[in-house]
Amino acid sequence: MGSIVLAVMTGGLVAGVLMWLIRQRKVNAMARTLGDADRRIADLSADLGRQAARVETGMHEVAALETTVAQMRDAAADHLEVIEQLRTELQSATAAKEQWASRAGQIAEEAARLRGLALTFERWHEQMISLMEQNHDMHAKNQELQSIVRHVVIVSLNASIEAARAGTAGRGFAVVASEVRALAARSEELSKSYRNSLHLNDLTTTATFQDIQAGGKMITASLSSVEALASQFQHQLH
Amino acid sequence: MIRSNAQDSFERIFRKAARTRLTRQPEDTCHISTAAEAGTLNGEDALILTISSIAFRLLLVLRFDDSDATRAYFTGEGTGRSFEEARLEIGNLCCGALNQELLQVFPDLGMSTPYVVSARCLPYLHVLKPGYVAAYAVTINDTVRVDATVCVCAHAPLDFVADVSDGVESGGELELF
Repeated sequence: MGSIVLAVMTGGLVAGVLMWLIRQRKVNAMARTLGDADRRIADLSADLGRQAARVETGMHEVAALETTVAQMRDAAADHLEVIEQLRTELQSATAAKEQWASRAGQIAEEAARLRGLALTFERWHEQMISLMEQNHDMHAKNQELQSIVRHVVIVSLNASIEAARAGTAGRGFAVVASEVRALAARSEELSKSYRNSLHLNDLTTTATFQDIQAGGKMITASLSSVEALASQFQHQLH
Repeated sequence: MIRSNAQDSFERIFRKAARTRLTRQPEDTCHISTAAEAGTLNGEDALILTISSIAFRLLLVLRFDDSDATRAYFTGEGTGRSFEEARLEIGNLCCGALNQELLQVFPDLGMSTPYVVSARCLPYLHVLKPGYVAAYAVTINDTVRVDATVCVCAHAPLDFVADVSDGVESGGELELF
């Protein structure tokens, strides 16, 4: 009996020791697990710290980016305003350009129309030629008049001679012949003066005619230049 | 009023035009002297041409001596043209040369066609109230004689300096009219 008890007690003791050992192993295992857990917690804490630092850095960056975005938004708004202003200016410039092109076209047309003045100058030219022909005609008539006057002078001289030959009977005739000679001399003077006037008239008529003709060419050439410039300007605007 | 610079320029321009356009060959001698009064030449006619600008007009009066030497020189041999035609052409060329030089200074110019008047008209040039009159006697090859008068009437003060080069130019182009 005693041995049985002892055996039981021994068995119990062995079982207890085994159980203790098992528990001890479990405790040890748990202690190791706990250590591992602590290490993992420490690692995770460290990782968490790093992540937190990263998050903080990211937040700073996000804040900086937000500031930049805000600045860019403001700049974009400014640019939009400038673009809008430029668009308005462009529209008004385009309108002005079209207006200029239209006016350049009008100037070119007007210059082309005014070049028709050449016809007016031609008309003056013809009239001046006609005037010069009349002057020539007057010269011819004046020469004829001078010829007649010279003839009259000769006739009056002959009459005076004949009157002198007739003596007392020819006295009255001599007075008439003398009067005729005096009239012929005055006619001759008048004819010379008239001839000089005609020469003066020739010069002033010619000078005036040429001034009109040359002035007309000057105006026509200037209008051609204006027309060419206006057309060039119009083409550049289109 | 035509200032001395302008008067000097007109003179230089005329002398160049006379040297280059009144002579038919480049080797021909051309003597140009100032003449107080023209009128020692034979012939009844005078040729007048006008250059007009906004501020002035210039009259070029040419008298060609009606001598055999002058006739033969300007009509040339075998050309078949008359002395009258030759005078008009030479006068036109000479005035065209003046016009060409003046265009360097005055952009707006026009030139008339030549017109023949009696030489007895010339004493009345003063009636045009010119601001500048210069008379020249041109002698080519010692025998050919042409009298020229440059008469400028200005309606505003005239002052310019023409840059007249002395280089001999090639044969002139006909001034179209």
